[in-house]
Amino acid sequence: MASEEIELHGHIIDSLILPKVMDVILSAGADYRMLQFDIGRTNADVSTARIEVTAESDDALAALLVELQVHGANPVHTVDAEVVRADRDGVFPAGFYSTTNLPTAVRIDGRWIDVAQPEMDCGVVVRDGTAATVPVHQVREGDAIVVGHEGVRVSPPARPRGSNPFEFMGSEVSSEKPKALLVAEVAERVRLARESGRKILAVCGPAVIHTGAAPPLARLVREGWIDVLFAGNGFATHDIESNVMGTSLGVSVREGAPTEGGHSNHLRVINEVRRYGSIAAAVDAGYIDAGVMYECVRRQVPFVLGGSLRDDGPLPDVYTNVVEAADAMRYLVPDVGVALMLASTLHAIATGNLLPADVETFCVDINQAVVTKLADRGSHQALGIVTDVGLFVHQLASELCGP
Amino acid sequence: MTAASVGDGELSWGRRFLMCPPTHFGVLYEINSWMSAEVPVDVDRAQSQWDTLVATLRAAGAEVEVMDAVEGLPDLVFTANAGVVNGTQFVPARFRHPERQGETPHNVEWFSSNGFTVDELPLGVSHEGAGDALPFGSVLVSGYRMRSDAASHAYLSRLTGAAVRSVELVDERLYHLDITFCPLDERRAIVAPMGWDAYGRRVIESLVPELLVLDEEATLRFCANSVVVGRTIVMPGCTVEVGRQLEAWGFTVEVVDVSEFQKAGGACRCLTLALDVRLST
Repeated sequence: MASEEIELHGHIIDSLILPKVMDVILSAGADYRMLQFDIGRTNADVSTARIEVTAESDDALAALLVELQVHGANPVHTVDAEVVRADRDGVFPAGFYSTTNLPTAVRIDGRWIDVAQPEMDCGVVVRDGTAATVPVHQVREGDAIVVGHEGVRVSPPARPRGSNPFEFMGSEVSSEKPKALLVAEVAERVRLARESGRKILAVCGPAVIHTGAAPPLARLVREGWIDVLFAGNGFATHDIESNVMGTSLGVSVREGAPTEGGHSNHLRVINEVRRYGSIAAAVDAGYIDAGVMYECVRRQVPFVLGGSLRDDGPLPDVYTNVVEAADAMRYLVPDVGVALMLASTLHAIATGNLLPADVETFCVDINQAVVTKLADRGSHQALGIVTDVGLFVHQLASELCGP
Repeated sequence: MTAASVGDGELSWGRRFLMCPPTHFGVLYEINSWMSAEVPVDVDRAQSQWDTLVATLRAAGAEVEVMDAVEGLPDLVFTANAGVVNGTQFVPARFRHPERQGETPHNVEWFSSNGFTVDELPLGVSHEGAGDALPFGSVLVSGYRMRSDAASHAYLSRLTGAAVRSVELVDERLYHLDITFCPLDERRAIVAPMGWDAYGRRVIESLVPELLVLDEEATLRFCANSVVVGRTIVMPGCTVEVGRQLEAWGFTVEVVDVSEFQKAGGACRCLTLALDVRLST
């Protein structure tokens, strides 16, 4: 997609120039957004309209702009983005443009180019007429990096088409909201994302297992409602432990009582999976025969397990290099439409950093602080749901998969 | 002779015109579909047609001012394109074609030395004067696409204080507004909608209460390129239907043969520029 801001001056209402320009845009298969419209007060006053025109390709946009100029609609004067070559690997040029997670466009050679895969705290690399976000460690010497703010345009996130059930709530975190209603609405957003061909991402913390939410979550994976899963060593370990040993961190997930020698159960599970070489190999060998990770392997749902300093083991699938973990997550983020952050703090924030602002993000945690923290770090699109994650996942599975 | 007084409902302008004799007129280049450098202009005949036009306008009660012809500027004779007049303000044309751009300094000189204030359009914006801008009531109707830029209309409005209605011209034979639109009085106009796009037609329909709509034949005979002096209409040609309607509305039709000038794509209106237009009242 390519877009440009145009400006119309004159008696554009009475002369029907404004409706004509809109018709010209639409009949060219392009779209417009009215950015500003000042109507002249008296008969002799001119009106001014600023319109953003979006076409499918640069060529289509260029042809349309020529036609629009005939009707007096001229591109608003802006300058190209300044681009500087990186002088070494892994380092941006000084003064690099630091991204937000909002839809961003840069102007190169007189044309606005959308920046692919918006992600906060990155730079923008321009290559062969395209632009994309790039994390600092991925920069290579000679990459053309945008510096300064000239020729960079950031748009607020577009409102989702159709009614948004959450509009009336804003993104306020509250424990006072009716949960059953919220869960039904989250389920509806998941269905809409699925219908529009976008992916559902689940980011899971270990509490998902401790609270007994693993079986309904496994059901959601089995029935095709989860397309990508991000978690850490703890979540995967306890999921496997609960299915192989019947405990989560040594506590029986059925009786809720500590089991004898249970404190070492998770280490024994990690050890066995390491013996097989991977979770998938342990599934294939029949060592793991149920659970969220099992369903992911069986359904070929891609997952990324990011490691941390305090991990035991870890499981052989865990990325112990955090930069590589983030890159693996980054690779799976495009096309995600809904993100469910389930009782996860570190992975939720890490994922929030990677997601474009148009991804509908639901952060479910018993602790209000987690939800607030996510918003404070720039993921303003996140809607917090303060509740027990076990209850939430049970209800969500009932909504999506039936009772 | 002094200008006649304005009768009830008549146009408030059209009693004083600027014209330029065809001393150096000819079709020396081709910048519209009527022009053919291979069709020779009979200079004597052109002069005599022009003299008849001047005499007819004067007889109808108009004053005619005459500016000097300039060698090498054959289209200077079409004074309608000199610029837009508003009281004592003159906004000189910015011609699209380089062939005519040399006319502007001569026009500016005439207006400056005749008591007008000259206000210029910005560079890079084309507008071909009254050929593409005719007042109707309190607004200025202005054509665009062929010779004038739509973007010029907002500047024109800013300079003159007039509200402008933009009309897109879509037929290359009808390259100026004044071949498609001729205000007759406060309520009526001769119109050639075949020259406009659908939006332009709606703009004129909502602006002018009574329309005399020309068919293709009458349009291509330049019936709309006529000069109105009170209740007299000086036309380059007229069909029976058009003549009947104009007479039914109480106008006197005077047909003046300007066929030599039509070889260059211009007729009666193109040969005149009203000097008594006052846009912002």
